[in-house]
Amino acid sequence: MALNRKIAYIDLSTGKIEIRPIPIDVRRKFLGGRGLDAYLLYNHTKKGCDPLGPDNTLMVSGGILTATLASATARTHVMAKSPLGGLLGSCNMGGFFAPELAWAGFHHLVIKGKAEKPVYLWIHNGKIEIRDARGLWGKTTTETQWAIREELADEDIKSLVIGQAGENKVRIANVMTGIKNSGGRTGMGAVMGSKNLKAIAARGTMDIKIAYPKEALDYNKRFIDQITSAKVNQTQGALGTPFIWGATNSWGGVRCRNFQYNQELYCDEIEPEALDEVCAETMGPYHMAGCFGCQVHCRAKYKIPTGPYAGVYDEGPEYTSQGAFCGEPDCRSIETLLTGNHLVDQWGMDNLETGSLISWAMELYELGILTKKETDGLELTFSNDEALLEMTRRIAFREGWLGNALAEGGIIASEMIGKNSFDYLIQVKGVSNLHSDERATPALALNIATASRGSDHLRSRPAIDLYHLPVEVMRKIYSNPVPYDGPLSSEHTEYIGKPWQVFWHENCYMAVDCLGICKYHTVFLGATLPNFEDWTKVLRYNTGLEFTPREIWDIAERCNMIERLFNLREGLQREDLKKGDMLNHRYFDEPCRRGAPDVVGRVIDREKFKKMVDELYEYKGLDKNGIPKPETLKRLSLENEPAHLV
Amino acid sequence: MVDQKEGLSTAESLRKTRSYGQVRCHNPSCMGRLQPQAGVNQVKCPACGMEYRVAWIKSGFPRIRGPVWDVNQRLAEEAFERKMKEERKDGPK
Ligand code: SF4
Ligand SMILES: [Zn+2]
Repeated sequence: MALNRKIAYIDLSTGKIEIRPIPIDVRRKFLGGRGLDAYLLYNHTKKGCDPLGPDNTLMVSGGILTATLASATARTHVMAKSPLGGLLGSCNMGGFFAPELAWAGFHHLVIKGKAEKPVYLWIHNGKIEIRDARGLWGKTTTETQWAIREELADEDIKSLVIGQAGENKVRIANVMTGIKNSGGRTGMGAVMGSKNLKAIAARGTMDIKIAYPKEALDYNKRFIDQITSAKVNQTQGALGTPFIWGATNSWGGVRCRNFQYNQELYCDEIEPEALDEVCAETMGPYHMAGCFGCQVHCRAKYKIPTGPYAGVYDEGPEYTSQGAFCGEPDCRSIETLLTGNHLVDQWGMDNLETGSLISWAMELYELGILTKKETDGLELTFSNDEALLEMTRRIAFREGWLGNALAEGGIIASEMIGKNSFDYLIQVKGVSNLHSDERATPALALNIATASRGSDHLRSRPAIDLYHLPVEVMRKIYSNPVPYDGPLSSEHTEYIGKPWQVFWHENCYMAVDCLGICKYHTVFLGATLPNFEDWTKVLRYNTGLEFTPREIWDIAERCNMIERLFNLREGLQREDLKKGDMLNHRYFDEPCRRGAPDVVGRVIDREKFKKMVDELYEYKGLDKNGIPKPETLKRLSLENEPAHLV
Repeated sequence: MVDQKEGLSTAESLRKTRSYGQVRCHNPSCMGRLQPQAGVNQVKCPACGMEYRVAWIKSGFPRIRGPVWDVNQRLAEEAFERKMKEERKDGPK
């Protein structure tokens, strides 16, 4: 059954592999996926370890529902200490890897040490081998996956791999599976590279027993109907995530020219419908694909239409590639967008960090803080498509002074560049912000400032706050499963009630990540999508485990607290600009210059922001410094951690 | 244990609030519901004057494709100038 999938502890230094079951009381405390990974990280990583040293521990997992009859249990989670901010590192990707890992017998891998030479893991039907990967070193992410399939003579193998950027320990390197599924954030590809671990390949045919198969199937039909009838998912299924960037740009909620503007003007060529036309021209009318068990199908397939890579196949691009290769550097070419998306996929780099860091460097170049000396002669100006793609290459291969500096991530790069370069770096906890601008949306600003893995929209963003929902609808959502009768406001430019929304979404998204399902199947972009109540049924029918909605909430809260404890142990301090729950000063000091009339002129009010953080801390059971109160740890049964339950 | 009859969850009960055929004005203080006529490719918000290009996901399912740049850019510039003048007079808001 789903619950008999195992944990494997793999020591790459010694070659020792240990396989253990996951006790049911551990499931009841952490479920699986990101929540259990956080517990494993806290227990198996030495305090203060070098993120790129052998003492860092890398977790790879699926959720408790992975590969069951539940919808879209496609997500793979990867966690370690981050080489970007020195705090929690965590990334999550779609595709087919985690289900394959589950069919091969495993839900969690705990990878320690460092191999002497490049290796990859081969996991199949309960067995794990460490194999020579010297022949794979230097290959792109797609080449690596095909080379493994050829070597093991099985085209159904699914692999989690790094590209050249991960090998080069570029701190913004990602982990990839398939052609475009990217675990982008927090440099997990660099951690794999530092362990000489090129790939993890999985293939399994072990049955997963479903507790109540008929009911699970019946219920899933209802679940799918709820998901696919939502307007937002129908839009996703037609246009993919670029529709989000397009809509956000329309009102003035994206970053442009690093952080100088909050809208890219006259960018019709890269709008979702324009992209859709290119995809249709190059791939035909049915060019949307999906991850394992998903009915939304938000992944576009395309061939690059023109330029040096004309005819090359890839998938996407996502919202983040539009921000990285268009909005932030202020470029408007669909060829640049599709090419840039392809290059980061192949070399294995986070598109978001790539675009953000290059745009930051472009602003520094404009200000004279960087000159042609540091750029090795490159004219690193905004709207220079060629310079953008060239700098992308230099980062992946650590070429040139600036390429190498940016490969270290924003914080180290700012120390290398010096002067006041750090003031212009738009990051939280060492992680670049999504290409969005939160100056007009206090709830979203609170989310990115306090997210556990650094600036991030997938940890606690109340994205539905932008929909101006009637308060009665908000009340229905936000007072379940924990009663809440405090204030709520439909105005997304308001501060009132937002800390509770952020707290609610933090627990909602953690639960989703523990289950292993996609966030487009919960209250992320759609207010009417499933959440706690619905999951009790999915869990019961698929695993046989009974939970109340409140119990799932409590588990999520516990897992979030474990992430907090890890961050505090590694140096998080509330107002520290590099390691805290704090925003760059530009959020408070520079007004928005573009967008809707009610967006221009806005900044985040510093005092109100502080009050929001205070209130959020209260909900989380933290003191004013963001440290958990003893009674909170007791309430969440964490007072004896680290307890090494697994 | 399997429940034989499952009632509607909160999420399912909210399904009736979905507003097919409509889009919302993108101006935060306005957010008026706009219902573009079938097949049109532009819509103007009667409340705040912002104008949008419209695309159709399918028949009966419009979405805002993007701003009518010249119009909305002018509205933004006017608002910015006005707000900066007010701020100079009254201090920051
Ligand atoms: S909605 Fe998109 S990202 Fe999520 S599982 Fe489906 S195809 Fe994958
Ligand atoms: Zn309006």
